[in-house]
Amino acid sequence: MMTTTKDPVIKLANLRMSYGGRQVLNGVDLEVYPGQIIGYIGPNGAGKSTTVKIMLGLVEGYQGEVQVFGQHPGDGDASYMKRIGYVPEIAELYDTLTAREYLTFIGELYGLSTDEAEMRARRMMTEFSLGDVFNSRITTFSKGMKQKVLLISSLLHNPDVLFLDEPLSGLDANSVMVVKEMLALLAAQGKAIFYSSHIMDVVEKISSRIVLLDGGRIVADGSFDELKAQNHEGSLEQIFNQLTGFNEHQDIAGRLVSIVQEV
Amino acid sequence: MEEMKSLQVLDRFRGLFVKMGVDYPVMRRIVQVKLTMDARRVPTLVNKSKKKSQNETEDGNQFLRSLWLYVIFGGFSSMFVLMGDNLLFEASILFGIIMFMVMTAMISDFSSVLLDIRDRSILATKPISRRTLTMAKTVHIFIYLFFLTGAVAVIPLAVGLFRQGIGFFALMLLELILMDLLIVVLTALLYLVVLRFFDGEKLKDMINYVQIGMTITITVGYQVLVRLFDFTAMDIVFKPEWWQYLLPPVWVGAAFHTLLHPNGGLTYVGLAALSIVVPLAAFLLYLKLMPALERNLQKLAEPSTKSSQSSGKALRRLSDWLCSTPQESAFFRFAWALMGTEREFKLKVYPSLGFSIVFPFIFLFSNGLDQGLEGISGTRTYLFIYFSGIMVPSLIMMLRYSSQYKAAWIYRTAPISGEAPIYKGALLACLVRLMLPLYMAEAAIFAVLFGASILPDLIVAGVAMQGFAILCFVFLRKGLPFSEPFEAAGQQNQTLVIMGLMLLLGGFGLLHWLATTLPFGVVAYGILMIVGTWLGWRRAFRTRETKKEETPDGI
Repeated sequence: MMTTTKDPVIKLANLRMSYGGRQVLNGVDLEVYPGQIIGYIGPNGAGKSTTVKIMLGLVEGYQGEVQVFGQHPGDGDASYMKRIGYVPEIAELYDTLTAREYLTFIGELYGLSTDEAEMRARRMMTEFSLGDVFNSRITTFSKGMKQKVLLISSLLHNPDVLFLDEPLSGLDANSVMVVKEMLALLAAQGKAIFYSSHIMDVVEKISSRIVLLDGGRIVADGSFDELKAQNHEGSLEQIFNQLTGFNEHQDIAGRLVSIVQEV
Repeated sequence: MEEMKSLQVLDRFRGLFVKMGVDYPVMRRIVQVKLTMDARRVPTLVNKSKKKSQNETEDGNQFLRSLWLYVIFGGFSSMFVLMGDNLLFEASILFGIIMFMVMTAMISDFSSVLLDIRDRSILATKPISRRTLTMAKTVHIFIYLFFLTGAVAVIPLAVGLFRQGIGFFALMLLELILMDLLIVVLTALLYLVVLRFFDGEKLKDMINYVQIGMTITITVGYQVLVRLFDFTAMDIVFKPEWWQYLLPPVWVGAAFHTLLHPNGGLTYVGLAALSIVVPLAAFLLYLKLMPALERNLQKLAEPSTKSSQSSGKALRRLSDWLCSTPQESAFFRFAWALMGTEREFKLKVYPSLGFSIVFPFIFLFSNGLDQGLEGISGTRTYLFIYFSGIMVPSLIMMLRYSSQYKAAWIYRTAPISGEAPIYKGALLACLVRLMLPLYMAEAAIFAVLFGASILPDLIVAGVAMQGFAILCFVFLRKGLPFSEPFEAAGQQNQTLVIMGLMLLLGGFGLLHWLATTLPFGVVAYGILMIVGTWLGWRRAFRTRETKKEETPDGI
């Protein structure tokens, strides 16, 4: 784990959350420091998105302590959001707008001036080789292009914390390299990055710290090397399987193929 | 992004918003973006082909273009202002109509604005205060409400000005604003209550049902409103009753009565006071509750925890029994499932089904009740049941649309020969799932009202309705079921065709009526209908066998 003397930017203590009787989070303790890239992983339904949504103030009714930059989400004061960038899992955008309109709008919501927002957006679009579609409507974009717009929209205001949910989905291999490198550089500058993904290879490579959530609890927390030492497994994928108690993938695959061949 | 006139008007109230603690520039920007997006509610398929990349200037707004229809309705209702001197009656009816129009438009068109969950992840994650967000949404709704109310009320206002004078005009303006407030609050409260007590899919369904119920209630409410006044004597007499305190249009009517003919008494003053106090109080409540509504909206985005495990066996037996080929039966079940689960489809279609239920009764009660309920059993007014088919053309037209229209690629990639089974299965499912229960319920009520002797007529009319549906399918522009976005619905200039089809329905009814005047006429008409429908099922889809439709959106 990266050692740092600074205060945590995010602090979760005994965080619990239930939806209609189903316990989604079961006491999560987590402190995030500047400069960390946290790979936040776990099986579907483990509570990853819920954690992020709580920190963003999107979900209320949790128990326990949540602090983001020392503020409590949902207490009415939204000013801490200025320092947060968010890429949601599903590409939700106002897609009848053009990329220019959308990004300028988002920049302004973060407090940038119109010109500044537009200029930054244009330059980033150009770097992502989307300069020529800057004035096109987002509806006409492919999945990867939309994802790039989302990434740009989360970075326009130079945030200190980034919440990225599957940020590489739909991107081509070259763009993936760009984004991975960019994240490493941003972290080196002291930004904290909260990275949720199901693609273990990427998480293994880019994360400085890996947090594995299962059944609403943190079951592993540490750098990849630390996890490897504890679990005697070769890859993050295998560690993931072991910690979540899943070891029958060969059997299931075999059964699936036999069903396919029945026709 | 253009500068809208509405925003310039909004700027005049800047001070007011700032005083309320709203971040005005941010709110203005959000409203501007929302209005821009509304103006672009144009089908993507048009955009793509016509203007490649520099599609900046989309002039006009689909919504604004559709307003003329409301102007016409308003023109009809201005009749009540012209009619007589009983202000209470006139104003109640007029406001009843206006509120009805605005409220239904609000629920059918603006639930998408009120319930847009994209706002949660796009706007709520930004450093904007809750109050600003709430206000932006409210202003957005009010701008539309302004145009909508303006369109409905412009002719009545003008007529009122000339006929009743400036006092009437000013009061009407004030009351319009108050009633708009009330409408927004009522709609939002409705959603809040539903959202609070239910979650996930259930909640989306609930909204549907509430909408349908609302449509029906408001329509029936009309009848109550008209019956408020005793028509038996030549002059119109108003009898105060406690339940009239529950009808907002009556409050407004009382306000007109009190202020312009001040001799009514305390009942009127009380009612009039309600028309001012309730909307204002409600609006304050609304501002308090809006954040709660926003929070509960999150539920819309969450997956529902429990899914019902229905066997589907009965459905399979039904589809196999009705359909001639396995493919057709597959499409029957496919369409059946989609119609039952797709929220936007239900949102668009079910309220019109509500109209279908109510229409025959409206005609029945406004035409056939001179001698009371006992008097109608001998008449042939049961033929008004044909009006339950009045929504069939738009229903069949709506079958083409889906919010998941892009998934229509399955039609292309599946090895299907010809499109006949697709159309036939979908049309059958639509008739069996939506029209049949509706017609059965309607027929049952009619049978009770008119006696069992009309049963043969009802069966014949049912068959005729089926034939009518097939004709609708033939005449309307074809499109694979669930293959086009709802936004495209406004683009089709099918209004004339639909009107023509409605006339055709009247023709069916008329023919049936003629048949009842001849000996064995109904039997002959029935045989004609059965043969026609049988041929229809055989022939109507044949042309679709070989050639494929042009693909929407280049799927």
